[in-house]
Amino acid sequence: MTAVLREHAEQQFAEELQELARADKRQRPPNWKLSPWAVFLYLMGGRLDNGFTLTPKYTGQARVVEIAIATLATDRALLLLGVPGTAKTWVSEHLSAAISGDSTLVVQGTAGTSEESIRYGWNYARLLAEGPSADALVPSPVKRAMQDGKIARVEELTRIPSDVQDALITILSEKSLPIPELNSEVQARKGFNIIATANDRDRGVNELSSALKRRFNTVVLPLPETLEEEVEIVGRRVEQIGRALELPAEAPALEEIRRVVTLFRELRAGLTLDGKTKLKSPSGTLSTAEAISVINNGLALAAHFGDGRLRAQDLASSVVGAIIRDPVQDGVVWREYLETVVKERDGWKDLYRACREL
Amino acid sequence: MSVHILGIRHHGPGSARSVRAALEELQPDAILVEGPPDADEQLALAAHAQMRPPVALLIYLPDEPQRAVYYPFAEFSPEWQAIRYGLARRIPVRFIDLPQSQQYALPRQITDADEIIHDDATPAVRRDPLRWVGEAAGYSDGELWWEHMIEQRRDGTELFRAIMELMTALREEATHASKSSETTNAREDSETTTANDASEATETHESSEATNVGEPSDVTKTREASEATEVGESSETTKLNEASIESEASEPSEVMKPRESVHDALEALREAHMRKSIRAAEREGFERIAVVCGAWHAPALERMPPASEDAALLKGLPKVKVHATWVAWTMGRLTYRSGYGAGVESPEYYQHLWSAPDNVNAQWMIRAARLLREQDLDASSASVIEAARLADALAAMRGRPVAGLPELGDAARAVFCSGDDAPMRLINEKLIVGERMGEVPEETPLLPLQQDLRREQKRLRLPPEASERVLDLDLRKANDLERSRLLHRLRLLGVGWGAPERASGKGTFREVWRLRWQPEFALAIIEANIWGNTVITAADAHARHLSAQTEELPALTALVERALLADLPEAINDIMQRLESVAALSGDIPHAMDALPPLANVMRYGNVRQTGAGVVRGVIDGLVTRICIGLPNACSSLNDEAAEAMYARLSAVHGAITLLQSAEHADAWHAVLRRLPEQKNLHGLIAGRCCRLLLDEGLTDAETTGRSMNLALSTGVEPAQASAWAEGFLRGSGLVLLHNEELWRILDAWIASLKPEAFTQLLPLLRRTFSTFTAPERRRIGEHARRATDGNSPASARSSTPGVGVATERARRVLPLAAQLLGLSYPPLTTQEARDE
Repeated sequence: MTAVLREHAEQQFAEELQELARADKRQRPPNWKLSPWAVFLYLMGGRLDNGFTLTPKYTGQARVVEIAIATLATDRALLLLGVPGTAKTWVSEHLSAAISGDSTLVVQGTAGTSEESIRYGWNYARLLAEGPSADALVPSPVKRAMQDGKIARVEELTRIPSDVQDALITILSEKSLPIPELNSEVQARKGFNIIATANDRDRGVNELSSALKRRFNTVVLPLPETLEEEVEIVGRRVEQIGRALELPAEAPALEEIRRVVTLFRELRAGLTLDGKTKLKSPSGTLSTAEAISVINNGLALAAHFGDGRLRAQDLASSVVGAIIRDPVQDGVVWREYLETVVKERDGWKDLYRACREL
Repeated sequence: MSVHILGIRHHGPGSARSVRAALEELQPDAILVEGPPDADEQLALAAHAQMRPPVALLIYLPDEPQRAVYYPFAEFSPEWQAIRYGLARRIPVRFIDLPQSQQYALPRQITDADEIIHDDATPAVRRDPLRWVGEAAGYSDGELWWEHMIEQRRDGTELFRAIMELMTALREEATHASKSSETTNAREDSETTTANDASEATETHESSEATNVGEPSDVTKTREASEATEVGESSETTKLNEASIESEASEPSEVMKPRESVHDALEALREAHMRKSIRAAEREGFERIAVVCGAWHAPALERMPPASEDAALLKGLPKVKVHATWVAWTMGRLTYRSGYGAGVESPEYYQHLWSAPDNVNAQWMIRAARLLREQDLDASSASVIEAARLADALAAMRGRPVAGLPELGDAARAVFCSGDDAPMRLINEKLIVGERMGEVPEETPLLPLQQDLRREQKRLRLPPEASERVLDLDLRKANDLERSRLLHRLRLLGVGWGAPERASGKGTFREVWRLRWQPEFALAIIEANIWGNTVITAADAHARHLSAQTEELPALTALVERALLADLPEAINDIMQRLESVAALSGDIPHAMDALPPLANVMRYGNVRQTGAGVVRGVIDGLVTRICIGLPNACSSLNDEAAEAMYARLSAVHGAITLLQSAEHADAWHAVLRRLPEQKNLHGLIAGRCCRLLLDEGLTDAETTGRSMNLALSTGVEPAQASAWAEGFLRGSGLVLLHNEELWRILDAWIASLKPEAFTQLLPLLRRTFSTFTAPERRRIGEHARRATDGNSPASARSSTPGVGVATERARRVLPLAAQLLGLSYPPLTTQEARDE
């Protein structure tokens, strides 16, 4: 047991990666630790011939992971797109852990990310003392990945200002990083590639230039496909978080979780689950992560102000808060949903009343 | 003398290529094709210059055109290639399947059973024989396996020998499986779960559309196809079939045999007939006979049992009369989606496989890129290269020899579309399904829809006449009602034979039409045949098609009315569903408000036409709820013009809700009416109307209304806003002023308080409002005004006198001249008076 709060993927699943590498007899692209087949198996889980079991890291469509891996194998950069809470970062971390054995070469994109964090910076003390030299350079994670032939990750690519984003173009098309100050360059070794993630809800923040976009293959990570899948994910996370927060409340009934997930799914899809009634969708994302926080919120209310059991009243306020982001448009959407769907549904009367009372 | 059996998959481009190559090699002197011999006479038309696939052979019963079978052909159909090959070289080409004239004559359950064999009781091998083979080879899906092994190959006759062996083995397995279907099911389950690749196992789905390799679902045939002719609807066919099955099952005399054995019986008959036809061709002395049939049948035709056995089977089969003709077909209708199970998921892709000489995948990517560029989407040549590379890498990862459609699609989505679905839908529409439509020559025999119309015209004694005549229908009479429906249906199909005149007099019982038959209608009918074989089914399918195309509420409600008039209950159901979903998504409250009154009418008065109005209720419920929720937003910040339109809608919706007589709707509506005037920025017209409606309904008392009026007309309010309020409140009827002294007083006080310039400005508006009252009302208001001024308020009476009286001083000045003109003497002015002047 280590003292760190959270281990990197390659540390946490070191044994799995080791077993896989031993069992993997297929051809590996240059500088890859595993073959594409083994990477796939690592992400989706499965059983090796020797009986060793791999846990699934990503529960979703196999297709998505296949395209992602095939993209990296063709030395095209990979852009993972999806609404918040669809495991983009998670997938990118595990992909780089499996392919390069190193998931730590990360650039976190923010509005303040500068070119230095993508290319290189200077150690100014040395620069002043010794003049420009390779030793005075402070390499960025991308530069290090190029030198070592590893995967670099760029988180939240669209939050990075456009001019800084475009620093990636040369790196991606010519696979080299010029250093004009030293009149030299870094040429990427085989195995180098970039996995970027971006949030497609606020894609407009800093839309990629088409020159950059062209260098990425885009894979959209979908929201959980079925109700059962999502209920399962929400239930598991709620339990984990509840334990961490040490809430003195009973674990929520599966029924309540199902209700919240149903509600979220229906509004998200703009369609009732039976497929009979169309609905308007609110402006929020209503991701799985939000469903989890709604239930946790309700649980906290129930624990501290209620009788310790999650009831419709406890849920109502956080549900409404999650859905109504724009008071005018979303208000209409929510009221319509309440009156046309919630009101009529069997066993939802308490929720209807609780929401009406707000 | 030799017989060569070419086992194919219907609509397989690879099969077509192989057939073509095999024929070139064999140089046969007769070609036999699995198909309906009923259509032998029409076969020659296939070589006609104007014939452009996709087309379909249509076999139908002249008396019952809704029972029809379509045999579609695309350019990449092996049968089509075989037929064209034969016709081009003047080699006899014949169809050898069991004639439809005999299949129709079989007891109905046998033929119906043909449709629905894919239930769980059918053993897996029978249901989807290729899946077995595919799974054995490590594929998730038999289709895919066939695709890779057969369709993507380009070599000749050797292939057919291999197919023959494969099918022979499969048929043996199937016979075995039929005997012990339970064990087979168990085996199949274990097969699925132990499939070594976990991900593939999850993808394995119970494909209800069986393979195209002939049996078990001989995909070129669909019965009851007229019900299936609507585009984009798949549920209908099965529904109807189930219905017919149920109705038969309820008849006590006909005990249902297990469907599977019924199906087997039909298959045996069909294969017997094929063998019989082959023998006949042999007897005629053809030397090299090529037989093109579904792969499943191939072994049965290879190993010939004694001729007498087949003869015994086929002996004494009853026969009915059938007609055959060609109809134009579409790519879309070759897919699963269209309800007609031709069973090709991707006809346009197959067309591409057929017509692209080599480098199939790169060419497909180029086509995709060009398509996107046409739509102003980025797709550079570099992207094409990357997409093609990704497709290959994916194929390698998935362990496939060549990239197929799934890989191409995935790659196109990742590279061209940035993961976006919208451009992918475009690619799917144009490059995977396709929009190609076939053509048939003019010489093609009369279509069933034309015949059906003729029959109807005769039955209803409504002959087509080129001269115009007026037809007055009384809808209470059965015959007239039917005539009206026929005319309405034809109008739906775009045949404007009758133009409805505005019916006057007896209201909804009477309908006046102006009839005139124009020669162009014949063409319109031929075009409409694509929708169905009878007027009613065609109108039904077309109405549904229209509803699927329509995005706007008002257009949909109009369509509902048309469908109701044409009495198309099935279509109405569909349109209603569509209406519901469009209403749910539309934020356009005015549209919803426009839609409500006609629907309310339908619900209330629909029964006159004996149309069930029950379906309408659900839609109305949704609309009322949405209107009640959305109205406050829709009413904010309206200008005069918009307020005027909203005023009309408000009144119409109010009328509709009164008509519906539903307490629930009325409550919701009244709550909104009550809430609405409190809203800020509300146009006076609307606010005034709300108050008036509430007052008229007796939901507020005069006192409250008085308070509202006082508030709206108080001095702090802009005069324009106040007068709009007054207009909204009063328009239509002023009686309320006569009955309620308090309201009268408030209005009066407001007008009196107006400043002169404001008064001049508002006068036209007030005048407009008062002009909407009836003459007696106006008179009584005038009288009331005079009485009020005479009696109740002397102060105002005095002030009004000068206006009413004559200006004596000025009039007097005219008098002398008038007197002079008339030659009269006028009392002369006194000097004193003259000085005053």
